[in-house]
Amino acid sequence: MEISFIIFIVALLVSFYSAINIGANDVANSMATSVASGALTIKKAVFVAASCDLLGAIFVGSHVSNTIRKGLVDPLQFSDCHNLFLFGMLASVLGSAIWVNVASYFKLPVSTTHSIIGGVLGFGLVSVGFAGIHWKVVLYIILSWIISPFFGGIISYIIFSIIRKFILNSSEPVKQAKKIGPYFIGTVAFILMMSVLFKGIEHLHLGFPFIDAFFISLLIGIVGFFIGGAILRRYKEKQIDPYYQVEKMANPLQVISASFQAFSHGANDVANAIGPVAAVVTVLQTQKVTMEVSIPIWLLVFGGIGIAFGAYVWGHRVMDTVGKKITSITPTRGFSAEFGTATTVLLCSRLGMPVSTTHVAIGNIIGVGLARGVSAINLGVIKKIITAWIVSLPAAGVFSIAFYYIFIFLFG
Amino acid sequence: MSIISKLFGKSPFEALYHHMLKVKFCVDLINPLVEALFEGNYEKVDDYAKKIARAEHEADLVKKEIRTSLPKNILLPVARGDILRFLNEQDHIADAAEDFVVLLTMRKMVVPEEVKEEFKVFVDTVLETCEIAMETSSEIKALAETSFGGTEAHKVMELIEHIKVKEYEADNAQMKTVQKMFSIEKKLDPVSVVMWMHIFGKLGQIANHAENSGDLMGIMLHNTRGK
Repeated sequence: MEISFIIFIVALLVSFYSAINIGANDVANSMATSVASGALTIKKAVFVAASCDLLGAIFVGSHVSNTIRKGLVDPLQFSDCHNLFLFGMLASVLGSAIWVNVASYFKLPVSTTHSIIGGVLGFGLVSVGFAGIHWKVVLYIILSWIISPFFGGIISYIIFSIIRKFILNSSEPVKQAKKIGPYFIGTVAFILMMSVLFKGIEHLHLGFPFIDAFFISLLIGIVGFFIGGAILRRYKEKQIDPYYQVEKMANPLQVISASFQAFSHGANDVANAIGPVAAVVTVLQTQKVTMEVSIPIWLLVFGGIGIAFGAYVWGHRVMDTVGKKITSITPTRGFSAEFGTATTVLLCSRLGMPVSTTHVAIGNIIGVGLARGVSAINLGVIKKIITAWIVSLPAAGVFSIAFYYIFIFLFG
Repeated sequence: MSIISKLFGKSPFEALYHHMLKVKFCVDLINPLVEALFEGNYEKVDDYAKKIARAEHEADLVKKEIRTSLPKNILLPVARGDILRFLNEQDHIADAAEDFVVLLTMRKMVVPEEVKEEFKVFVDTVLETCEIAMETSSEIKALAETSFGGTEAHKVMELIEHIKVKEYEADNAQMKTVQKMFSIEKKLDPVSVVMWMHIFGKLGQIANHAENSGDLMGIMLHNTRGK
């Protein structure tokens, strides 16, 4: 019991530390486009990111956390020796956190998602062996890493093509923006509500079946449509550059999509910090390893607060540097990219797939670029990302294995 | 440093606009230079010629910068080759302007009184052609904003048609100037006539390059629209 309690405290501390890291680094990626396009000031962006991340973590964060907690390495294999399971989970969260820091030091664009999966796989391999790992789940996850940037890119391509065709290239861009803008807002509201309501968290009485969730979300989407329409109609057309006006009108759209993206980020990435800890907590709660217990809400809140805290305290600096570098992106482009990213990441979250928000965001920006929305995209970045991706899995795994043996040596 | 910010390359359209400004600077100095020539103020002519040469060099530097900032793995809204060809042609306008004034400064050229009127019209039409070409080129930032389509593209297409018309007028003005010069050939020394023919040729080429740059802009738009 005492060792378990120490493990519990250490796990909480380490996961909070990871959550802060995730918040501090990723917030820039989800909000940078809004800041760069002038839709939000840094201060507001940080606040929006922190609060939406927290909400996403609480409402949708349990699905991916479950995958990391019990989807990769079956906890039932540790029924006789659940301390080993605790050591392993602690080792993965610690190992991946350290790997991410090492990689950042060497300026490798690694993803916390890939690192935590590498960490869990690493300890799984040395504890229960090759056969003890759910390779099917691993395969799905890796496939989701490959598919998600493409999927998101296609959405962004379509969204920006619609904006280009029906708004920018029309003879009356401002009028068209007023007509089409509300549809985007309604869609965001619908997807968001659907992700929260459909088989959502039971504790909060959000476990609606599909049909109910669909109709409630549809209703809220329609409400969003009318509210969005009212906001856009308030804009008075002036006798100046219509494209400038359209971009100005797209500002609120982009604030919505940026919040949407932060929400999805919380939903997916909170698991990277608390997934392993969730395993520790459920074991301690029940004194045995089990598949059934659900993740306590307080832990999701805890992880969400960590991300929000990191975003709030360190987000400024990162966002400042990123925002200044990206000057070519305007609100219409930012909206297209963020809408695609958020939708993809949220969908993956609901499927329990841990994906890298940053990589999906990059896929989406390229999607907008292919729709001729960005004046220059440096595709050389893709190579760097793939390298970091391939290095991350084994590297985080090695760190995790090392910690696993250290814990066994110290406490076992 | 976030990987997202590395994803964004430098926009070539901003730089193309700067290149246009340099070329425009060259072209805009031609008129005062020719006026100084009419007055026979050779000191002033030399002075303007130096300024044009310097601006032409600056345009070259911008051109080089754009070329090096467009490696093959950059994703652009228009074809990379189209941008480079357009840039090359726009640069030729400045090159031709420089060649034209160099010819004028090689030898103390005296504009014969009888040709002055035609020559002035010729210069003005060439400069008007350039003016429209520069206006077309300056739309490139707005085109990037609208993803090279819509009303903005129509506007540019119309401008390109204007360039063609002006260039045709410049050709006519050139012919008239040459005819006028030969009508008084008895009064002129042969060396001057040979020089003037070269000079008129160069002046005409400025308008040709302006027209070509417009055409290439049109190709850029056309290729994009088909995508």
